[in-house]
Amino acid sequence: MAQAALKDTSVEEFETRQQWWWAAEKKRSGRLDYLRKAIWKKGAIGGLYAPGVKVDLERAQLQTRKARELEFSNDAYVIKFARMIAHILDNKTIFITDHAQLAGYTASLPHTIGWDPSCASILNVEVYNDPTAIPEPADESQKIIQEVNAYWGGKTDLDRMMPVFDMEDLMKMLSGSIGWGVPLARGGYSSKDYEYIMTGKRAFQDIIDELDRKIDEGDEMTHAPGATPETTDMYDKLNNWEAMKITLEAGIRIARRYARLARIIAENFEEDPVRREELLKIAETCERVPAHPPRNLQESFQYDIFIQMMSRTEAIEGAWPSRPDFYHGPYYDKDVNIDHTLTKEEALDLVGEFLIRAAEVCQFKPKWTREGLQGIDGTWVWTIGGVDAHGNDACNDLTIALMQAARLVRVANPTLSFRWHPKVKDEVLREIFECNRQGLGYPNMRNDPVLIANTMHWYGHPIEEARLWANQACLSPCPTTKHGYQPMRMANATANCAKIIEYVLTGGYDKVVNMQVGAETGDVTRFKNFEEFFDAWTMQMKTIFSILVRAVNRARTLAPRLTPRPFLSGISERSIESGMDTFEPSLERGNAWITAFTWVENIDSLAAVKKLVFEEKKYTMAQLKEALDANWEGFEQMRLDFVRNAPKWGNDDDYVDDIMIRCLREAAKFSRELKCPSGNSWPILPENVSGNIHYANIVGALPNGRRLGDALYDGGISPGPGLDKKGPTAVLKSCSKIDHITDGRAFLLNQRLSPTQLAGEKGYQLWKAYIRTWADLGIDHIQFNMIDDATLRAAQKEPEQYQEVIVRVAGYSAHFVDISRKTQDNIIQRTIHGLG
Amino acid sequence: MKCIACGHDGPLSDFRYLYNARIDASISIRQCINCQEWVAVDELKGETLEKITGGAAPWGKSAGIEGLATDAAA
Repeated sequence: MAQAALKDTSVEEFETRQQWWWAAEKKRSGRLDYLRKAIWKKGAIGGLYAPGVKVDLERAQLQTRKARELEFSNDAYVIKFARMIAHILDNKTIFITDHAQLAGYTASLPHTIGWDPSCASILNVEVYNDPTAIPEPADESQKIIQEVNAYWGGKTDLDRMMPVFDMEDLMKMLSGSIGWGVPLARGGYSSKDYEYIMTGKRAFQDIIDELDRKIDEGDEMTHAPGATPETTDMYDKLNNWEAMKITLEAGIRIARRYARLARIIAENFEEDPVRREELLKIAETCERVPAHPPRNLQESFQYDIFIQMMSRTEAIEGAWPSRPDFYHGPYYDKDVNIDHTLTKEEALDLVGEFLIRAAEVCQFKPKWTREGLQGIDGTWVWTIGGVDAHGNDACNDLTIALMQAARLVRVANPTLSFRWHPKVKDEVLREIFECNRQGLGYPNMRNDPVLIANTMHWYGHPIEEARLWANQACLSPCPTTKHGYQPMRMANATANCAKIIEYVLTGGYDKVVNMQVGAETGDVTRFKNFEEFFDAWTMQMKTIFSILVRAVNRARTLAPRLTPRPFLSGISERSIESGMDTFEPSLERGNAWITAFTWVENIDSLAAVKKLVFEEKKYTMAQLKEALDANWEGFEQMRLDFVRNAPKWGNDDDYVDDIMIRCLREAAKFSRELKCPSGNSWPILPENVSGNIHYANIVGALPNGRRLGDALYDGGISPGPGLDKKGPTAVLKSCSKIDHITDGRAFLLNQRLSPTQLAGEKGYQLWKAYIRTWADLGIDHIQFNMIDDATLRAAQKEPEQYQEVIVRVAGYSAHFVDISRKTQDNIIQRTIHGLG
Repeated sequence: MKCIACGHDGPLSDFRYLYNARIDASISIRQCINCQEWVAVDELKGETLEKITGGAAPWGKSAGIEGLATDAAA
C-alpha cells in the first residue's frame, strides 16, 4: 500500500475492513515497525528461498578450517567437535540491528542462512546446486562450496552413519515415498531441560564450576590405583565433561563479543544519547548472560536467544520448543508490576522484538523440508498457558503480552500454542480469540488435562513433570525436565501414511518410485472380503512404520558416540550429573512419536472400498484397480461415486468413524510393540504441516477419489476439504470418538470459521461456547483460520497488496503469499463453518 | 478437447493434469501442452471451461456458509 494511503486511513477503518496487517502497522511503535521490516523473509516461498537470502559460507569455512586442523589430533571426537563449535562462535561475524535491544543470530549476516556442512553430504550437494541461494559472486562462492564439500564428503554425520544402517531400509526412505528426511541425530527437533537452565537458579558459569568439580573428581579416580570398569567409563565421561565446558565457555565469550560490539558503537559512533544508553544496556546484558542468571526481562530474553543461537550452531534444529510465559513471566512481573522499571508499552516492545528475533532465525534446509514447511524455516511453536507442576493456572501477564505483541508484529513464526484448562481466565481467552479473529491462525488450542494424561499414559512421565510440557515440534508435548526432555526427535520418523492404502492396492509396489517398498501382501483382486483387505492394510502400516522406526532407533543408539551434542549436554542436568552425552537413551524416559502425514485418506478410502466394493458390490476390485491404475482417467463418473456415495470422515457417521477408530487402535497396539532405545513406545501423531502438498505428486490415485497430483487432505484428523458437510459440531463429534489419551500422541484438527459471523462480543461468546464443547468432548487440539475467501482470492490476484496475510497451514502458520498456489487452493477449499 | 485459451485441439493427454479444484466436483486444473496456460476442465464432459488466473474461480472455492461455491455433492 502506498505510504499516503496508509497514512490517510485510520486504524478503525482498516479493522472494519479486516485488514489487520495494515492496522497493526499503524498501531505498533516506531521501534517495532522498524525491527519488523528489518528482518529478511527466510521461510522458503513454495520451495525456494526469497531473492536476496543467501547461504552463509562463513560458518562452513570456519568449521572446515578447524576440522582440517584437528583431523590428526588425538582428542576424542566429542572434544574435536566441541572445538569446532567454539571456533565458529569465537570467529563468526556478529551484528546488532539498529534500534534493537536484543542481539544474536545463527548465521553471520542478517540476510544469510546458516549452513552446517558436517551434517549430511546430500545437504551439501543441495547447497551447491541451489543457484538462488549462493552468494555473489557465484563463481567464488561455488569454489568455496566445492572445497567445503570435498572436505566433508565421507565425513559428515550421515556418511559416517551410512554403513550401520540397513541399506534396503535406507533406499526406501531416500526414495522419498514413505518418510520425510534422513535419520540424523543433529537434525530435527530438540527439546531442552528448561527446568535446569531457565529457572534462574544457575547459568553457564555455575555449570562450568560444577563441571570443573566433576573433572577433578574424575581425574582423581582415573589416576587412583586399581582399575575397574568404572575407571574405563570415566575416560569417556571426562571427555564429555571437557567438551561441554569448551562449548559453554565459548558461549560466554561470544556473548561478551556482543557486549564489546555494543559498547564500541555506543562509545565511538552513536550520536543519539537515547540509543547510546540502549547500546550500553545491551552491553551490560551480554556481559551478564549467559554467564550468570538473568535479573530482568531483557536479560532473560537475551539469555534464551543466546541458548538458541548456540544450540543452532551445534545442530540443525527444525523446531523451537519453548514455554516463554512460564520461564520469562516472572521477570516480566518483576520489571512491570513490582519494580516498575519497565512500562507495559516498553515491555511490549521487548516482547515484540523477542518474537521478531526468533522469526529471523534460519538454517539451510533440503528441498523436501522446504516443501513440507512452506513459508517458514521450522516449527517454532511456542507453548503458552497451561498449568504449573502443582496444577495451578500458569497464565501470567506475559501470556497476555505475548498475544498482544503477536498481533502487532504479525510474524508467521514463531506461533503460539495455548494449553487450555478449566481454570483459564476470561481475559486470556479473549486475547486468544482476538489473535485468531485477526487472522493469525494462532494460538491453537491444546486440551491440557487430556494431554497431561496422554503424556503420562504413553511414556510414564510423573504428573508433576507431565504438567510442565511444551510442544517439542508442532504438537507433541514433552516435559522440559531432567529425564523427560527428548534431545532430538528425528524428522524421518514421519510416515507418508497414504502409502499404506496405496500399497494395499499394489501389493506393496510403489509405482511412483518404481520399487517394492511396502509388504508383499499379494494381488488385491483376490481378497474375498473387507477383513482380508483390512489385514493387508495392517501389514502395510506395520511395514512402513517399522522401516522408519528401525532407522531412528539405530541413529539414536549410535548418536552419543558418532554425533554427540556437547552444548546441549552442557545445559542438561542429566548429562552434567552422569558425564554421558544427552543422546544417551538410558538417561531419558523417551518421548518418541511417529508423525502420521496424510492419515485420513486411509479412512475415507477404506470406507469407500468397504461400502462400494465389498458390501454393495457396485464395483469389483478389478474395476477399482483398473481405474486407479489409470489415475481415474476415463473413470470420472466412477470416481465421483467413490467421493460422493461413500461415507466420509468428519460427518458424525459411525460407518466411517468406526473405521478411523479401528485403524488408530491397530496403530496404537503396534506402537507398543515398537520400542524406542529408551524402552518406550512409538505412538502416532496425525498431522501434515504442508506435507499434503509435498506428497501430492508422490502418492498415486486412491479409492477416496483423489488422483496423482491432487493435494492430499490438510491433515491430522481434519476431514477432507469440503467433505465435512454436516457442520462443525458433527466434525467435533467424529473427532470425539477417538480416545485422545490412548489412541495416539496428538491429533491435529483444522477448521475454518467465518470472520463475519465471529465479529464483536456475540462472536466471542459463540467461539467461547464452541471451545467449551471442544474441551468437554476431550479433543486434544483445534486450530482456526478466520479469513474469508474473498481476501484469500484477492491475495492470489494481487499478492503484493497482501504480503502480510497469515494463514494456518497445519501445525504452523505462514504468510499466504509465501505458500505455493496448490497449498493456497487447498486452504481455500476447506469448509468455512458457521457456529451456533 | 479444445483449449479455451489457444484453441489447440487434441486428446486429453495433451492437457497435463495438475490438480483438482475440489475432490467432490468434476472440475480439474490442467495445463495445455500448446500454450502452457492453465485451464479448468470438466472431466465428465471433456471440455475446457475457462483459463485460470490468480484468484479466479472455479479453483479456490470453499464450501460452507459463505456460499461462494455450489456444493457439488448437494
